[in-house]
Amino acid sequence: MQSAVPQRSQTFDQAFVDTIIAERTGRPGALLGILQKVQEHQPAQYLPTAVLEYIAAKTAIPLSRIYGVVTFYALFSLEPQGRNSVCICRGTACHTRGSRDLLETAMMSLGLAQGQDGEMEALSVTTADGRTTLRTVACFGQCALAPVVEVNHTIFGHMNERSLLKELGALDQGDLLP
Amino acid sequence: MPSQITVRIDGVLCTATEGQTIFEVAEANGKVIPSLCHMEGVSPAGSCRLCLVEVAGVDRLLPACTTPAQRGMAVTTTSDRLVRHRRLALELMFVERNHVCAVCVSNGHCELQALAMSLGVTYVRYPYNSPRLPVDVSHPRFVLDHNRCILCSRCVRVCDEIEGAHVWDIGGRGIGSRVVAELDQPWGDSQACTSCGKCVQVCPTGALVEKGYGVEEMTRSNSAVARLAMKKGAAS
Repeated sequence: MQSAVPQRSQTFDQAFVDTIIAERTGRPGALLGILQKVQEHQPAQYLPTAVLEYIAAKTAIPLSRIYGVVTFYALFSLEPQGRNSVCICRGTACHTRGSRDLLETAMMSLGLAQGQDGEMEALSVTTADGRTTLRTVACFGQCALAPVVEVNHTIFGHMNERSLLKELGALDQGDLLP
Repeated sequence: MPSQITVRIDGVLCTATEGQTIFEVAEANGKVIPSLCHMEGVSPAGSCRLCLVEVAGVDRLLPACTTPAQRGMAVTTTSDRLVRHRRLALELMFVERNHVCAVCVSNGHCELQALAMSLGVTYVRYPYNSPRLPVDVSHPRFVLDHNRCILCSRCVRVCDEIEGAHVWDIGGRGIGSRVVAELDQPWGDSQACTSCGKCVQVCPTGALVEKGYGVEEMTRSNSAVARLAMKKGAAS
C-alpha cells in the first residue's frame, strides 16, 4: 500500500534548479521566475526550505528576501499541495450569492476542519490524504458568473451546493504520486 | 555635476540639488516633516505615509521622502488636510497592533508616541484589532516584540545596507505582514545575524529592544547608525 500523505521531503532536483538559475541569473526580477519554475517542478507543488536555502546560496539573494517574496505571493506554497485544486471565490459578488455556504459544504465534504476562531478568510488547506487542496481567492474577475468555483484550473460559474458536490465527487481519485 | 534648482517650501524659496527628495530639501532648510520610516543614510521606503505633503498642481498627496524635488515646485508641509491625514495614519498604526505605552520599555523615548502627542492624537476612532502576536526572546541580547512593530522597515534597510547581513525582511502581506528573520525562524537561530544591534538602535517604537531594560528605560541612538551610514557612503 502506498503511503497516502504527500512526503514532506526536503529532496529536490538539484540539476534542474541549477539550470533554471543559470538561465535567469543577472536578470532583474529573476527570483520570481526561478521560484515559479522550481515550484512547478516539485512533485507536491511546493517549496521546501532546503530549496529556498539552496537558491539563496546559489544566487546570493538573502534568505529573508526570498521568504518575503514566497509569503507575499499566494502563488507560492511552503506546504505540500494536493493533487486536485479547488478554489472558491470569496469576492463581494460571490459572497452575496452564497459562496460562504459553498465553502462550508466543500470543507464538510472533504473532511476539513474549520479555520481557527471560525475565521474562513484567505484559506489554503490540504486534506490529510493529500488528494485535494481547498483554497479561497479574493476574486476571479468572473463576477457575472457568481458564485464561481475553480476546480483543477477550470472555472465553473453559477455554482450551487449540488453542482459543487458533483464536481468534488468527480475529482481525480487515482493513486497519489510517490 | 548635478544642477542647482529652486523650490518653494511653505512659501520660502529653497535651493536644492537636482535628485534630492523633498524631504531632504526641507530638512536642509530647517523644515521639519514628520516621519517614522525615513532614516538618514539609508534608502527611503515610503512606508509610514506620515511625510505626505501637498504639491501645487497635484491633486493627491505625495510622500516627501520618495518624491524628488523638481524645478519650480511649490510644496506645503503643514495644512489642515495634511494634519487630518497624518492623524489618520497614526490612528491606524495604533489600531493595528498592541501599542500599550504604560508597559512598554520605550515609553517616553518612542517616536510613535512623540509624534502622536505632537499631532494631538489622544484617542483613536476605530476599534482596536488586538491581535495575539508573539514576542521573540530567542536572541541572547535583544528582543523582537511584534506587538509594537509598525512595519517601517528601518531594521530591514539598516541590516541590508549598512551591516550587509540582511537578516530581516517583511514576510506575508497586508494585515498579516510581519518582520521575519531569515526563514521566519527565531532570531537567536539566525546564521546571518552578527548581533551588531543596529536594527535595535533605529527602531522607532518598542518593537526591537535590548534585554535588561524595564518600562521607560530603553533609549536609542539613531544618529550613531546614521553616522556609520555617512562614513560608508563617503568611503564608497
